[in-house]
Amino acid sequence: MIMTVATKRKIITVAIAVFALLVLLIELYPIAITLLNGFRRDIVILSGQSFTPSQLTGRSYEMVFANRMFMRALGNSVIVGLLSTVLSITVGAMAAYGISRFKFGGRNLLAYSFLVFRMLPQMSLVVALYMMFRAVGIRDTIFGIVLAHSSFNIPYVIWLLIPFFVSVDKGYEEAAMIDGATRWKTFVMVFLPLAMPGIVVAAVFSFINSWNEFLYALLLTGVRVQTAPIAVSSMIGGEVLTWGQMSSASTIMLVPVFIFTLAMQKYLIRGVSTGGVKG
Amino acid sequence: MKSSKRLVTNQLTGVLTKKTGGFGSPVPFLLPALLVVFVVLIFPILFAFFVSLFNWPLSGGGGDRTFVGIGNYVELAQDPGFWNSLWLQLGFIFVAIPIELILGLAAALLLNREFRGGRLIRSLILLPVFFLPVVSGMTWRFMLQPRYGALNNLLIAMGAPEITWLANPQTAYAAIIAQDIWRMWPFVFMLMYAGLAGIPEEMLEAAEIDGASYFAKLFKITIPMLYPTILTALLLRIIDALRIFSEVYVMTEGGPGMSTTLFSLYTHRIAFGHMKMGLSSAMAIFLLILSIVFALTLVRKNMSLDELENRGGNR
Repeated sequence: MIMTVATKRKIITVAIAVFALLVLLIELYPIAITLLNGFRRDIVILSGQSFTPSQLTGRSYEMVFANRMFMRALGNSVIVGLLSTVLSITVGAMAAYGISRFKFGGRNLLAYSFLVFRMLPQMSLVVALYMMFRAVGIRDTIFGIVLAHSSFNIPYVIWLLIPFFVSVDKGYEEAAMIDGATRWKTFVMVFLPLAMPGIVVAAVFSFINSWNEFLYALLLTGVRVQTAPIAVSSMIGGEVLTWGQMSSASTIMLVPVFIFTLAMQKYLIRGVSTGGVKG
Repeated sequence: MKSSKRLVTNQLTGVLTKKTGGFGSPVPFLLPALLVVFVVLIFPILFAFFVSLFNWPLSGGGGDRTFVGIGNYVELAQDPGFWNSLWLQLGFIFVAIPIELILGLAAALLLNREFRGGRLIRSLILLPVFFLPVVSGMTWRFMLQPRYGALNNLLIAMGAPEITWLANPQTAYAAIIAQDIWRMWPFVFMLMYAGLAGIPEEMLEAAEIDGASYFAKLFKITIPMLYPTILTALLLRIIDALRIFSEVYVMTEGGPGMSTTLFSLYTHRIAFGHMKMGLSSAMAIFLLILSIVFALTLVRKNMSLDELENRGGNR
């Protein structure tokens, strides 16, 4: 049988579609498990019954919302995320402005140092941070964990903002300075409003970085300012196997991340690869 | 209005620059970031190096500390636990990352065409990348549980023997690798897909007119053009693999025994399991230097401030 080019094309298209769906199924399976288990009871999950729609219940969510420890951790995560974002955006935007608007000796070295800092393993820093924070008494405080989170958020924000900042027309700032505004006033009143889209993107991603962070939270916080990722992980262990509640709590943490990252997908490449990729 | 404003300012810029001697100093803008970076990055690194020169127990008075010079580094070199973690880390890098690169590239090539629902499929494939690492670890731990784990049941239904995946050294190691592949190949896909968009259409069309086959185009044009992207993806994944902690920690805590103690997990174990802060800091410094080597390679080869600025400026 001789196939025409058109039928051959059609077969290839169908094959690709089937393959894509299969891959999609595998990739979404663990996510679906988490979402579904959040609506099943612990006892049903542990019994190993296969899923039926009649198992669906909001019981695990009720228990998670009534769980004071988890709700406090969730609150801590929001506070730490917001404060670390404010700190990182403030000093990061200033530094990105300094790098993108001034020519000075060591400018490249400085910019690339921030980039390398962003790639350092947290484990290399956390042992020292643990001892430092304990010595000065800021372990298990909001201030301490916010400071620790800024160690990855500041370099991240700087490199995310540079391309946004460069694309802002210099003419407006020059006009403002000719009118007698100081450099500082120009930055705050003229430049920042123009660069707002970039600032928003950087703020969202630095909040998510902080929201997801585990290792610093594990070692630099304790009972007082424990954050949600640690609280989720402590829902399973030893005799405690509250898989349903763990899944509900996980879903609560995942939903904002999924919404924001999907909404800002087009900036994501820039965020993850932090920098211009030479073509 | 915008262009006339620019015209005026362009004429005046020369005057302004002469009169004020430039646009002021960058120092006030850079200082706050440098200050915080010193406190949370530079000082901890210096401190870690300092601690690595001592026998430094986690608790107890300062009297227990003794200066040992490079003793901790020597001890590390003779520590079977260190070599174990090195092999585990290398195995992880040599198994997980090539698979992620191949899957990511293949999917990017296949999905690099317009079809109905294409955007949706690409978005959905990316979801695992945004899955919180700690939640991913917990979910995989659940799926692999004997008796009630979802994946475990699926495998048994397909005829696999009943295995307590995370209690067996080999299968636990395989599980943490599978988890990483599942979560991170879509990240590679995302980079490759963006890289493919940067290949000029005309080149492929010209080759097609000359009668080049699909695979000839793939190996003669697409992959060579994609080379910088592939290298970036490879280096980013290696740097990331050296940082892996939370997902493995919640899946296995490095166990059973020492079968999944990747670098970060072993460093953590020396510090907070064996309470040896000096030895752990030596390991932290080793890990740091290794990461800096890869990071510098990535930055020097593939990331350019000028490129970034040109691209930003041309938008």
